[in-house]
Amino acid sequence: MSETTLTRKREHHFFRSGYLILVLLFIYLPIAYVMLFSFNDSKSMIKFSGFSLRWYEEMINNPDMLESLKYTVIIAVIATVCSTVIGTIAAIGISKARKLIRTIILEVNNLPVLNPDIVTAIGLMLLFLSMKVRRSIVTLTLAHITFCIPYVILSVLPKLRQLDDNVAEAAMDLGATPWKALIKVILPQIYPAILSGALIAFSMSFDDFVISYFTAGMDVQNISMYVYSMKRFNPAVNALSAVIVIVVTVILVLANLIPYLRNKKMNKEEQ
Amino acid sequence: MRKLIEFRNIVKNFDGQIVLKGVNLNIYENEFVTLLGPSGCGKTTLLRILGGFLEQDEGTVIFDGQCIDNVPPYKREINTVFQRYALFPHLNVYENIAFGLRIKKTGEDIISQKVNRMLSLVNLEGYGKRNVTKLSGGQQQRVAIARALVNEPNVLLLDEPLGALDLKLRKEMQRELKRIQQEVGITFIYVTHDQEEALTMSDKIVVMNAGSIEQIGTPLEIYNEPANAYVARFIGESNIVDGIMVSDYKVRVDDKNYECADFGFRPNEPVDVLIRPEDFKVVKPREGVLRGEVKSVVFKGVHYELMVETKTGTSKTVKMHVVTQHDIVNKQAGEKISANDFYVDSDDLINKDMTDQDFISIANAQAWDDQNRDISLTHVRHDIENRPGIYSITFATEKKTEVTVKVYVVHPEYVEDARHNIGISALDFFITADEIMESMAISTDLKTWASAEAWNLQDDSPVSITDVKFDFDPATIQEGTYDITFATQGREYKVETTSAHETGDRVGLSFGPDDIHVMHKEVAEV
Amino acid sequence: MKSFFRMSYPYILWIAVFIVAPMVMILLYALTRGGNNTLTFHFTLENFGRFFSDPDFMRVLWTSLRIAFITTVCCILIGYPAALFIANLSERKQTLMILLMTLPMWINMLLKTYAWRGILMNFDDMGSEIKVFIGMVYDFLPYMIIQIHTAIAKLDPNLLVAASDLGANRWKAFAKVTLPLSVPGIISGVTLVFLPAVSSFVIPKLLGGGNYVLIGTLIENYFLVAGDWNFGSAISLIMALIIIAAMYITRKIDRGAEE
Repeated sequence: MSETTLTRKREHHFFRSGYLILVLLFIYLPIAYVMLFSFNDSKSMIKFSGFSLRWYEEMINNPDMLESLKYTVIIAVIATVCSTVIGTIAAIGISKARKLIRTIILEVNNLPVLNPDIVTAIGLMLLFLSMKVRRSIVTLTLAHITFCIPYVILSVLPKLRQLDDNVAEAAMDLGATPWKALIKVILPQIYPAILSGALIAFSMSFDDFVISYFTAGMDVQNISMYVYSMKRFNPAVNALSAVIVIVVTVILVLANLIPYLRNKKMNKEEQ
Repeated sequence: MRKLIEFRNIVKNFDGQIVLKGVNLNIYENEFVTLLGPSGCGKTTLLRILGGFLEQDEGTVIFDGQCIDNVPPYKREINTVFQRYALFPHLNVYENIAFGLRIKKTGEDIISQKVNRMLSLVNLEGYGKRNVTKLSGGQQQRVAIARALVNEPNVLLLDEPLGALDLKLRKEMQRELKRIQQEVGITFIYVTHDQEEALTMSDKIVVMNAGSIEQIGTPLEIYNEPANAYVARFIGESNIVDGIMVSDYKVRVDDKNYECADFGFRPNEPVDVLIRPEDFKVVKPREGVLRGEVKSVVFKGVHYELMVETKTGTSKTVKMHVVTQHDIVNKQAGEKISANDFYVDSDDLINKDMTDQDFISIANAQAWDDQNRDISLTHVRHDIENRPGIYSITFATEKKTEVTVKVYVVHPEYVEDARHNIGISALDFFITADEIMESMAISTDLKTWASAEAWNLQDDSPVSITDVKFDFDPATIQEGTYDITFATQGREYKVETTSAHETGDRVGLSFGPDDIHVMHKEVAEV
Repeated sequence: MKSFFRMSYPYILWIAVFIVAPMVMILLYALTRGGNNTLTFHFTLENFGRFFSDPDFMRVLWTSLRIAFITTVCCILIGYPAALFIANLSERKQTLMILLMTLPMWINMLLKTYAWRGILMNFDDMGSEIKVFIGMVYDFLPYMIIQIHTAIAKLDPNLLVAASDLGANRWKAFAKVTLPLSVPGIISGVTLVFLPAVSSFVIPKLLGGGNYVLIGTLIENYFLVAGDWNFGSAISLIMALIIIAAMYITRKIDRGAEE
């Protein structure tokens, strides 16, 4: 290889890494920025005037903000549990359905995923209003469960279809009733997919704004709605963001690390 | 022996496709029964009905004297070894085997005792803690067998269990399975498409075809006295020829009567006659019952497999004129062109609607430039008429490089062989020595050059020409005229022998009355 | 096995009530005039007539489509090289990069947008439309990168070896092999960016200021401020139809590219 092609190659490599670093900077800029300014001494978002924890104090002393955080978590937990249970059961049923029925169910199931959130949102709002159901934390939670289930199904179904058909049959052949076969053989094999479905559901519910905005009553607000409805810029939001970023990062790292560690442990046991 | 399982008139359809056409079958205690047939014959379906994973549309399954049609799989005293084993990937070897016992809430000490006994039965001592997904195919197979047997079923179903293993391992597992069956002494029902597997392991073979049972018998019965040509062809190598049962103990094949051991046919009933390749003895030509020529020899390890032609097929001989011919050079255009004279049959001119492209290929006309690149022939002129005679044809390129050759239009000459219902035709042809030397597949090229064809006289369907005879050496051919004979397949027998022979040897074949097995003709399905 | 199929019955009931019924509601409201509280429906197309005859509405529609389109193009232009470069890294680095790219997707979109609001305070004289673009591209870029990367990573590396073996240089190999084969990735990226971008109303409102009206904002206003559900439903239906049409066209292009 000649000198020039080597140099060109190095230049090319340099350009590539540089570009990727720029994209990463762009993606992490707002996150880093809020974390930095959450410790700012002043209200300014332009000038960092000194380190302080005043916005964290403000956050703790802001009942509305804390309440919205509480509602967000409660709703996300309920929606995750319900949608994971309903979605997993549904996915097992769908995987055994005939092709035509399966296609129809999946097409409808995909509607909330493909539809713009706002269409799903006003549809649910119209449903609740015409049923004369008062919009409240109940309708909000029902709406969250509804848009979370499709993601659970989309996560669990491919894993189910990868399973060897004979495995459930083998369990029954060995004396397990269909229910036992499900608990002892099918669930243990698909639980990673169920977990990742639950994780997606939790994050969808935690992040949702549009659907919550249209289906919640006056008495309940999640974080997104709280931030949206704020009239003036409030740096306490920076503190809230910083806390959430750290919690989310910890959860994601654990979610990625636990299966890895479990595998390692299993390998060790075998030896 | 006690009857354990009885299938009564089992019918099964899948989406309107009939898979089982009313199967009746009895299976006895402690038998090793093999369901044998090609894929799609219904053998796996029958097994799945017995296991309880499929419901038959009609008929009844009786197990130990009781109808089990409405018994779910988990209540049947039957266990299955599945095609791809279906081991539980989230459980280790020990837990896979213990699965059925745990379902029955067996005590821990008994589980451990039984599982360990199974592990030693299948030669997997010490493998209990292994991850099943990391075992080899043969080991997974053993775990699957142990997992099924630990429940002490009355019947073990095995669905092509050795299909995924390589040949050596398969042989080993065949012996192993037979040993295990004899040791535990229960009924094994084994599904396979491998006839050799069936012959080596089974007490009883059930040959299936297209949803019905063709024959039930011991391996020896199935091999020596197949019920019909289908069974004979499926089990082992076989020569099956048409014959006529002249009277009891006398069968006629190719106009010759042979003594045989079979009787009970209608007088002059058309039959299939089976002679196994290993039942022939190869002898000197005049000592043989049949005489013929060795057409091919394949060494099969222990023996040789010969194809012996005892009667030639329908043939036609033509003349090949090897000529010298000079390329025509067009200096101006820098091109060269060449073509051969050719014969064409007046019937072909009418029936085949011959185009310029056809003439170009028969005449082997070609043009090329200085750099040896092919040039297309764009113009073809001729005065050919549909009457025998000599005509001329001219081929030319875009740049007017041209060559003219003679065309001999002749009356068609067929050889028609009414007895075998075969017609064959071929034409004399002109060719250069160079073209013969350059040929990579001389027999195929000779067929093309001579337009050799054979067909069935009744329905005009093509019959292949399997034999091209000539007595020149393509590498050193000189100008002159040569005879070429084209022939269709004659009567050929596959023969196994331990003595070496060479292609072209004249041999005699001898066999006794016991070596002939006469079968009823298969009734064609409507 | 039939017993397992029965497990989908509760969900079939659920989607009938919470997915199918709401869609029927939107259709019903869009096709009727106000006052549906009694059981008599007045079917009409006047909601649609009103939308298409008003130049103000048409301008809003046009702005929404334009912004979604430009956002999508920007995402492709920025995202494609990133996806390509990631695909050229070693397997471990690829996993890491994709993880880094996806990590911020798990963080609340409103909070991230709010953070941009803080950053963009530094650039007072920047036009509100540019601010909206930055927010939108930021929000959607990771989706585009992941889709394109998946398509490129799936390609058989031997294809490029074969291309250079057949005499193509680096750029030719890219133009003739990698680019055409990654079109499906671009298409699915487009569906994940363009479609939500059309209906987006949070980012325009937070970053563009109150006077920046898009079709999503319009729907919000008619439902939550004006209380005219019939007209609001009609606008949603029009938007949904435009999106379906856009999807249909992109799929057509995709199929065209395959041929």
